[in-house]
Amino acid sequence: MSSSFIKSLALAVFVIVLGACHNARPIETGGTESITSIEDVDMQDIMKASSGMLESMLSLGVLSQAQHKPAQVIIGQVVNDTSSRFDVGEMTYRMREQLVNSGQAVVVTTWGANAEDPTAQAEMRRKAILAGKTEIEGVQPDFSLSGKITQMMRQSGNTRQGTFTFRLTLTNLNTGLEAWTKTVDMTKQGNKNSVGF
Amino acid sequence: MNRLTANSTDYPLRTKVSATAVLFCSVATTSMLLLACGSTNTTYTRTSPADSAVETRLQMNDILTQVFLHCREVREFRTPGGPMEVQVDADNDGFSQRNFAYKFTWLDPQGNVIESPMSVWKSASVASGARITIRSLAPTDSATDFRLEVRRSD
Repeated sequence: MSSSFIKSLALAVFVIVLGACHNARPIETGGTESITSIEDVDMQDIMKASSGMLESMLSLGVLSQAQHKPAQVIIGQVVNDTSSRFDVGEMTYRMREQLVNSGQAVVVTTWGANAEDPTAQAEMRRKAILAGKTEIEGVQPDFSLSGKITQMMRQSGNTRQGTFTFRLTLTNLNTGLEAWTKTVDMTKQGNKNSVGF
Repeated sequence: MNRLTANSTDYPLRTKVSATAVLFCSVATTSMLLLACGSTNTTYTRTSPADSAVETRLQMNDILTQVFLHCREVREFRTPGGPMEVQVDADNDGFSQRNFAYKFTWLDPQGNVIESPMSVWKSASVASGARITIRSLAPTDSATDFRLEVRRSD
């Protein structure tokens, strides 16, 4: 009797443990099964932010005001001023993908002291010098993209709330004036992180 | 000797029923007040369909019913920048807040999906009695049709 009881108990525990296990499996990036964190920026937040930025930029037709077709854009500094550790390139690269691949803009990667591609910049300079030029020709950026990501945390009892604000600004390099700006907010609330949204 | 005690069995039956009724009424009133606090009252100046309204309201209702929403109008128009934009107005006629996720995917004139980082799942919530407008911008000027997916968030 006692032995049978122990066996049943062991079986029940085994079944419960099996049921509790979540084996790793691929899910859709940014999909509704993604982990939602209250105090961190999640991949779905970045994807929603870049989508919101692109929608605003494309609907207003800002890039079509450039002197060049497609517009030449420099990706400037986008500061991550949150406690969440992530690469802001996750957002800017998604935007570049859409803008460059659709032919609405080209990103200048060989411009300035902090060029994105120093090797290409050095090669361009070498060719310019060999051709007797003092500067790289053909690169005349129309816009510079810069921005900042900030966070605001609040708590009431056990409920925590995090608001992450993504701000981007496009500056017209011919006038030095702001040509476009957009703010996208992400607010998440709860007691603890969860799976899915 | 008459003695007053705190024991409820000493009270007459009518008094007990009355107390129960009062308690019930209090709970009901509190519940109604709580519900009223969470609901939204909405009114609009527009009474006729917009010029950009398209006849896809019934198909939209088929899908939005899954998240307990009611489609009021679907508008599709070309933005100043060139790409098409769609706006779907949906009402929450229920008594509780509805949370859901949605995703638009745009198609070219041949019906092929246009891959874009703009096509992402977005979460939304709409209070009881309120209207929400979910919108999406086409990634290219050539996109003409769209596909909408919705999913309940619990």
